Amino acid sequence: MMLALKQVGKNFGGLAALAGISFEVHGGEILGIIGPNGAGKTTLFNLITGVMSPSQGDIVFREKSIVGTRPHQITQLGIARTFQNIRLFGNLSALENVMVGMHCRTQAGLWQGLWRTGKQRQEEADIREKALAMLALTGIADVSQALAGSLPYGKQRRLEIARALAADPEIILLDEPAAGMNESETDDLKQLVARIRDLGKAVVLIEHDIQLMMTLCDRIVVLNFGQKIAEGDPASIQANPAVIEAYLGKEEG
Amino acid sequence: MDQWLNPYYLQIVMFMLINAMLGISIYFTLATGQLSLGNAGFMSVGAYTSALLSLKAGLPLYLSIPAGGVAACVLAAVIGIPATRLQGIYLAIATLGFGEVVRVIILNMKVTNGALGLSGIPALSVQIGKQLNSLGLGSGLGGITVQQLSNLSVIGLLALVVIFLVFFALRLRHSRLGRAFAAIKDDEHAAEVTGVDTVRYKLLAFFMSAFVAGIAGALAAHITFYIGPKDFSYHRAVEILLFAVLGGGNVIWGPLLGAGILTLLPELLRTVADYREMIYGGILVIMMIFRPQGLISEETLRLWRSKLFPAAKTEQEAVARRSAG
Repeated sequence: MMLALKQVGKNFGGLAALAGISFEVHGGEILGIIGPNGAGKTTLFNLITGVMSPSQGDIVFREKSIVGTRPHQITQLGIARTFQNIRLFGNLSALENVMVGMHCRTQAGLWQGLWRTGKQRQEEADIREKALAMLALTGIADVSQALAGSLPYGKQRRLEIARALAADPEIILLDEPAAGMNESETDDLKQLVARIRDLGKAVVLIEHDIQLMMTLCDRIVVLNFGQKIAEGDPASIQANPAVIEAYLGKEEG
Repeated sequence: MDQWLNPYYLQIVMFMLINAMLGISIYFTLATGQLSLGNAGFMSVGAYTSALLSLKAGLPLYLSIPAGGVAACVLAAVIGIPATRLQGIYLAIATLGFGEVVRVIILNMKVTNGALGLSGIPALSVQIGKQLNSLGLGSGLGGITVQQLSNLSVIGLLALVVIFLVFFALRLRHSRLGRAFAAIKDDEHAAEVTGVDTVRYKLLAFFMSAFVAGIAGALAAHITFYIGPKDFSYHRAVEILLFAVLGGGNVIWGPLLGAGILTLLPELLRTVADYREMIYGGILVIMMIFRPQGLISEETLRLWRSKLFPAAKTEQEAVARRSAG
């Protein structure tokens, strides 16, 4: 077990966006999180990455609670994420975006940067090389010099994944990576996610494309109105009456 | 030669270089997307610290001027830790208020001589002149009097500081820290989640900005021999901001150009000196409408680079063709 959520809840004013959520993420698996709009999926990511603090419960990563830890420290611990609404550094090149992703794994400070010490030059070369490797992995090496803001939508999504991977996380959280993609792009993405898992990383995936989730995920957690209503392998989720009810409504009679 | 080396021209060049430093000072905070208007305040702290240390304590200038920068930095720590948590316009208002507070404190203190200001501050050129005398250049060099020579030395010293700061800024941009700065500027939240300690780097940029403003203020004090609270009022803060607005705040060359133009402009427009503030206001409005990114932007640089180095451009195009094909 790598990451565990224990009875996690989040209130906004009087509204419970999430309540009593518990599940675990294991190394090297793809865990899907599905649920209707407003079920609390993105809030869950915000809690895990320290963007918000949970109102109740505990989040444990590698045997240590990460509640109250600042987002950049959580990234350094080994949890990286992408955003539902793409948030790249639009005025930096694609390559530089990924290089920023490696910030928490590198050291050079003001002084080394000013004098370009041997150590700093070595580190810069390493950063560049690894960043290029990440761009190649995500299939966008050809646009490394283009400004991130000028890239087409699909490539921006991939660049976000490359940037998150650059932090060398043990868990990567992907928030609707296939949103707005056509079928062939979604297929490419599927392969990419599988490749990331094969690197030994755990992937937590939020997606609305049920077909994609059923074929890609090892396990699925279903949320509805801030509650976990089901957890299990894709087949059992598909057969679960509570899930069917959440998505299709209750059968009359 | 004498015609060109008259004290008036030399002084304008000195002010240009001081203003260039102030432009770089505001560039450092803008590089992390922070709109800080406290530079006039930090400048005054640097100026008064160095002036008082040299006047009252007899400290040599090569120690008192850096002390001015350090004093500005210490103050930056006091107000920066809470202030850099503010965003956008709130930071601008807080730092503008800070500048005014500093000015009013200076106005009411005994040691700073209140509204009368400090006069008779040891002059940098005189100090350098003494050094030149001891080197046996008391009678000048090749038709240049020792006074001109020491003034030129001051300009050389200021230029060295500016060149170093530009070098620093350019190196910074293409380093790990500079990328972190640029990331914060583009999207602070995304930078934090990507693993950048945004609070720390915003504070670092704030310190760097304050230090440079403090040094610039200290140097200015020893060039003008007189400083008063009026020199560091709200107008000064706006003028520094204008360097970046006119020249462009995204690349280091922008504030430098802005500082150059806005130092020369009042001298050229002596006849309409009364309308100076109005002209500044007009420039601000016109720039906001027609060229909000300032005279020099990253695109401008790219354009020039491709014109000046066509080889690099064709290489880039070849890469683009390869990847397209």
